[in-house]
Amino acid sequence: MQRFNHYQEEYYPSPLMHVWIEFKRSHIALAGFVILSIFIFIALFGDLIAPFDPSQQNTNAILLPPSWEPNGTIIHIFGTDSLGRDVFSRILYACQITFGVSILIVMVAAFVGVSLGVVAGLLSGLRSSIVNHLFDSIMAIPTLLIAIIIVAILGTGLSNAMLAITLALIPQFVHQTRTFVKTELQKDYVMLDKLDGASRRRIFFSSILPGMLELIVVQATLAISIAIIDISALGFLNLGATTGMTELGQMLSQSLDVAYVSPWLVTLPGLFIFLMVFSVNIVGEGLRSALRNRLKL
Amino acid sequence: MYKTSFRYLNLLFFTLLVLLTFSFFLPYLFPGDLISNMSGVTPATDAQRDALERSLKLDQSIFHQFGQYLKNIYEGEWGVNKVTFLSINSEVREFLPATIELVFYALVLAIFVGIPIGVLSGIKHHGIFDFTTVSFSIAGYSFPVFWLAMIFITVFCLQLGWLPTSGRIDLLYDIPTKTGFIMIDIALSDVDYKSQAYQNAISHLILPTLSVSIVTMAIFIRFVRRSMMDVMTKEYIVAAKSRGFSTAQIVFKHGLKNSLIPILPILALQVSTLITNVMIVETIFSWPGIGKWLIEAIYQQNYPAIRIGMLVVSVLVLVMTISIEFLTRLLDPNRENVEHATV
Repeated sequence: MQRFNHYQEEYYPSPLMHVWIEFKRSHIALAGFVILSIFIFIALFGDLIAPFDPSQQNTNAILLPPSWEPNGTIIHIFGTDSLGRDVFSRILYACQITFGVSILIVMVAAFVGVSLGVVAGLLSGLRSSIVNHLFDSIMAIPTLLIAIIIVAILGTGLSNAMLAITLALIPQFVHQTRTFVKTELQKDYVMLDKLDGASRRRIFFSSILPGMLELIVVQATLAISIAIIDISALGFLNLGATTGMTELGQMLSQSLDVAYVSPWLVTLPGLFIFLMVFSVNIVGEGLRSALRNRLKL
Repeated sequence: MYKTSFRYLNLLFFTLLVLLTFSFFLPYLFPGDLISNMSGVTPATDAQRDALERSLKLDQSIFHQFGQYLKNIYEGEWGVNKVTFLSINSEVREFLPATIELVFYALVLAIFVGIPIGVLSGIKHHGIFDFTTVSFSIAGYSFPVFWLAMIFITVFCLQLGWLPTSGRIDLLYDIPTKTGFIMIDIALSDVDYKSQAYQNAISHLILPTLSVSIVTMAIFIRFVRRSMMDVMTKEYIVAAKSRGFSTAQIVFKHGLKNSLIPILPILALQVSTLITNVMIVETIFSWPGIGKWLIEAIYQQNYPAIRIGMLVVSVLVLVMTISIEFLTRLLDPNRENVEHATV
């Protein structure tokens, strides 16, 4: 039986498929996506691939160069550090912590920030202005400063560094969500809901929230790259991960003493941080332009 | 105009008040003795302790204490550094100019290199030049600043030996400190080796400035390009074209001015990232600025210094951010009705 059809095409992809089709068209974004998937894989299964224990010291093989150098061995692909620990395994474990922790932080920050932003956006008058000013003044304080204060109060450690970065990321989500909700509330479809007698909660959950998800995803990719850089910066300054853990920034700071003899100990962990942030940024950029262009198809 | 200025002064006042209140309560949160957290002096005898308590008004209500705190901050009695036993005020006066100097040069470099490149690639977008700059800019803001600084040190200082690794100037050059800004100090001093001193100071300055400004530059390129691309498709540009203006006229008179307005709010948002990066770079290059001082204070659990340092740095960021926002509002009256003053 002939069905009535609004569209001329036989196949009409969902909005999500539209984004994917548009995203696929950029080869660079796709390459970034592949690198990002590798990092996600490492974050999940890194400890299964690692050939050595990250803290196992081998005094017979100290400061071995990586395997592509004339003196390197294939057993230690990235060489060993000043205590004879296998750098490849350490980097895998460190990626797990740096990347995993960043994603966790962003999830928490996004949840708290979006909830607060919605409240701030739905409020009006004096209350809204107080909430806005409070968050905006927190936004002006540099992340490192918030981290320094929290470390001063609670002491060093990965969990305190995580807390600091989460606090520093929340205001951005609040700000974005608030502006979005404020502009959406002015639009006609919300007015239609209001005329239909929908409650404020219903307007938010069934009309505004679905449109907001994309904004949250884009903001989250931005936040992940900030979180990776910040958590490794704190590790580098010895304010984050303590000696028992392996974290990329902390590996960098430990290799400072031997940077002259073995420059690869500085290069490799930094390269992994760079690749991580780079792939997140490329994917974020690709997503943003895909979301912008998908309606032009 | 007056209304706008008043609104921004109001915002500055209340945000400062929030920061002051926060820093007032910090010593209560820090571990250890309240009196030494506040003043930096560890009282040896009971009489000393009583005197300190009276001078900080700890024997009176919390409102009196806050009043006394505001008075002390205003009068410049910021307490004593727990480690060096020097007045924190004099230390901040010594270290803050070094930080401002680094921020200033990095910002100038980022603006004067980043904006022209962004404009060029925005006009001729999707060309070879544009592709190169976009790749550079995405790579640029993915660099962790501490890694970049260390790569610079390994390459230019350790392997090539071209540039010094640390400090602002060699100890050989005895430049008396007047303003705290090394470039101005050299100009003011009456030594007979001024040009060598300048050379030396600049060779110390290159690497820290470069490592800070590359990240900021990358962000500028990206946003200027985007905004230039948007502006060049606007109808007034088409109108100008159809009236027969030359490309240079269109770009400089119509395109550039309109495309740079959205850049200022981005600059305001970048200030806090910039300061964070400067603090990290200072530690790596042993640049004697407020960031290095603050991070050392953390290692030494130097609570009075952390409290004042936090206040000084956040006031610096706040003043920079609010003045940029104010400037934006003055240049772009369209924003007037859109939103209220925000940081």
